[in-house]
Amino acid sequence: MNYRLLKNLFSVVPTRFKQLQLSAIVILLAILLSVFTKWISPAQTAKPVVLNLLMTAPDAQPWKEGLVKRFEEKNPGIRINIIEGPNATNLLEDLYTSAFILGDSPYDLVNMDVIWTPKFAAAGWLMDLTDRMTAKELAAFSSWDVEGGRYEGRLYRIPMRSDVGILYYRKDLLEEGGFAPPKTFADLIAISQSLKQQNKVNWGYLWQGRQYEGLVAMFVEVLHGFGGFWIDPKTLEVGLDRPETLEAIAFLKQTMQAGISPPGVTTYQEEETRRIFQSGQAAFLRSWPYVWPLANAPDSPIQGKIAIEPMVSASGENGGACLGGWGLGISKSTRYPQEAWKAIQYFTSEEAQRQFVLKAGFVPSRRSLFTDPQIVAKYPHYPQLLKVLEKAVLRPPIAQYAQASDILQRYLSAALTNRLSGEKAMKQAAQETRRLLGKS
Amino acid sequence: MANTVMMSKLHAIRRQEQITAGIFLLPAAILLLFVFGYPIVRAFWLSFFAKNLATKLQPVFCGLDNYARMVGDGHFWQSFWIATTFTTASVILELLLGLGIALVLNQKFWGQGGVRTIAILPWALPTALMGLAWAWIFNDQFGVVNDILLRLGIIKTGINWLGEPTLALLATIFADVWKTTPFISILLLASLQSISPDLYEAHAMDGAKPWQSFYQITLPLLAPQILIATLFRFAQAFGIFDLIAVMTGGGPGGATEVISLYIYSTVMRYLDFGYGAALMVVTFLLLVLAVASASFLLNKSRIAAK
Repeated sequence: MNYRLLKNLFSVVPTRFKQLQLSAIVILLAILLSVFTKWISPAQTAKPVVLNLLMTAPDAQPWKEGLVKRFEEKNPGIRINIIEGPNATNLLEDLYTSAFILGDSPYDLVNMDVIWTPKFAAAGWLMDLTDRMTAKELAAFSSWDVEGGRYEGRLYRIPMRSDVGILYYRKDLLEEGGFAPPKTFADLIAISQSLKQQNKVNWGYLWQGRQYEGLVAMFVEVLHGFGGFWIDPKTLEVGLDRPETLEAIAFLKQTMQAGISPPGVTTYQEEETRRIFQSGQAAFLRSWPYVWPLANAPDSPIQGKIAIEPMVSASGENGGACLGGWGLGISKSTRYPQEAWKAIQYFTSEEAQRQFVLKAGFVPSRRSLFTDPQIVAKYPHYPQLLKVLEKAVLRPPIAQYAQASDILQRYLSAALTNRLSGEKAMKQAAQETRRLLGKS
Repeated sequence: MANTVMMSKLHAIRRQEQITAGIFLLPAAILLLFVFGYPIVRAFWLSFFAKNLATKLQPVFCGLDNYARMVGDGHFWQSFWIATTFTTASVILELLLGLGIALVLNQKFWGQGGVRTIAILPWALPTALMGLAWAWIFNDQFGVVNDILLRLGIIKTGINWLGEPTLALLATIFADVWKTTPFISILLLASLQSISPDLYEAHAMDGAKPWQSFYQITLPLLAPQILIATLFRFAQAFGIFDLIAVMTGGGPGGATEVISLYIYSTVMRYLDFGYGAALMVVTFLLLVLAVASASFLLNKSRIAAK
């Protein structure tokens, strides 16, 4: 043992000790103060209940300015704390997931994309809301939006914002050429070819072909239009290797081979297709409602020249419109379920949605608002949008949706870019999906 | 007689020392057990269970099902090959560049200290931040790379580096090479400096040319360090996560989705804990195998050198 070191150590102690004493007093005071503020002061000023809600930063703005302010005015005891997340929904999903996996989630309200609902519900992270709303109350919402909030028959999400796949077309060009809006896939191709031959447009039809969730959303519509299905949520039967699926792939490939869709379409997401359509270079576009206000902006070359229709289908079949959209649920770990339910009731109410729609241009989930005079005055296409919404198709509401979608994305992309034949790709996709669902 | 007493005393002292050493090692051993032992054993255990959304996140014993599923899982093999491509390309490039830089830095020149410090800088910077920086450097609209190429007149329109499968993989390899070449060059520089200049002098007197000295003296003496560096880099590159997660997130269309990103998705997005554990076990065993065979080679080369 080094005794000198020990001695040195002890010689330091007295001065150190004084410092320690001082800091001990400071710490003690701090503890007393925090105890005082935590236990004694709430008795004097009742602290409001704070509900945490996570969403993408751009979404947060209209919420904060309108919805939250009004709600807090009406409910002085409750405060809504909006947490601004990254501007990518998959990152948002990751943030929710990691919070829930750890158990004690900091979020009281859950702002959910329609495709997350089954997963969150199956994992047991959401409160069952089935008995909180009567059938009559639910009937005021568009039925597919409500359906998107159910998992195995129970309700976990109240729809707030709807979103649906639409076929946009150039009204001016079709009228000029004497065409009625297309009803079938064959119409779509014929009109496109004719307009292209007359050099009215460079491209006929634009769709999203990159390997990502948007590809699946687009494909679900074409598949439905041919009478096929992806996964039956009740029986978990997989329909990817059926002839209808191959017809749907053949149609998409035909659009590229016939020069109706640009060859780069297999790398496009929504924004690439919108830019081409908005610059006036294409006759048809499959996209979401967000395109309307942008394409009709004063500086848009196609302002006032577009109209919408539900997605076309094979003759004798029904066109489908892929349903997206957001809704609210309650986290199972929240300490304030009553307050959270109050907030959901307000945010999904007719009054709140009207404000929200007028301010942010989103699509409501309540049917009455599509024909609301105030809203129609601002967005004249909403009554037509309701027609599209009635043809909505849900992506399969199964717990393992993310994985199933991932499988379809990979094999569909391989088929569309000719890395695999459609038949082989879908056979493998069906096989992997069946294995995933325990059906093989 | 006295001798045996001495011996037994010595024995007692030695045993005492061993016990003391054991006690001193215990905290570290316990720490390692919790930090390494527990997660590894737990992952092995979990890989024999189905614990996913279909089982409502409850573990259900399923034997080797998870491993059987891996065989037919196209996504797994895709990410496995991407990781292999990424690792092979970046480790080879890093070795060549790192060796070159080490040889330059080993020479005496003005400002040597400053250059050496700058050379190690990329390695010292946090990876996630550099991933973000590289994502901006390769950005199709505002990126520096496109700007330079456009100004030089090499390209006419900006290239969507991170949007095209092959280019995105190249960009991530480039960023990784930039980031970790300094690690190899510093490692090799250290061993270059331990080679006695006398060897080169004697060799030159025998009439050897500089490149002959390089092949006959430098490379053989560096071989063990090169192998160690390769080993380190191989293990790190194969399990790379942060750089790619930040730069491309595995996109476009999974073109840069290496195995650790796939495992992350399996666990965090798909909530498939059992299968994720099986993926981890297989990756772990493959790495152990690679490291073991490399160190076997290392031993062999040492024996051969002796």
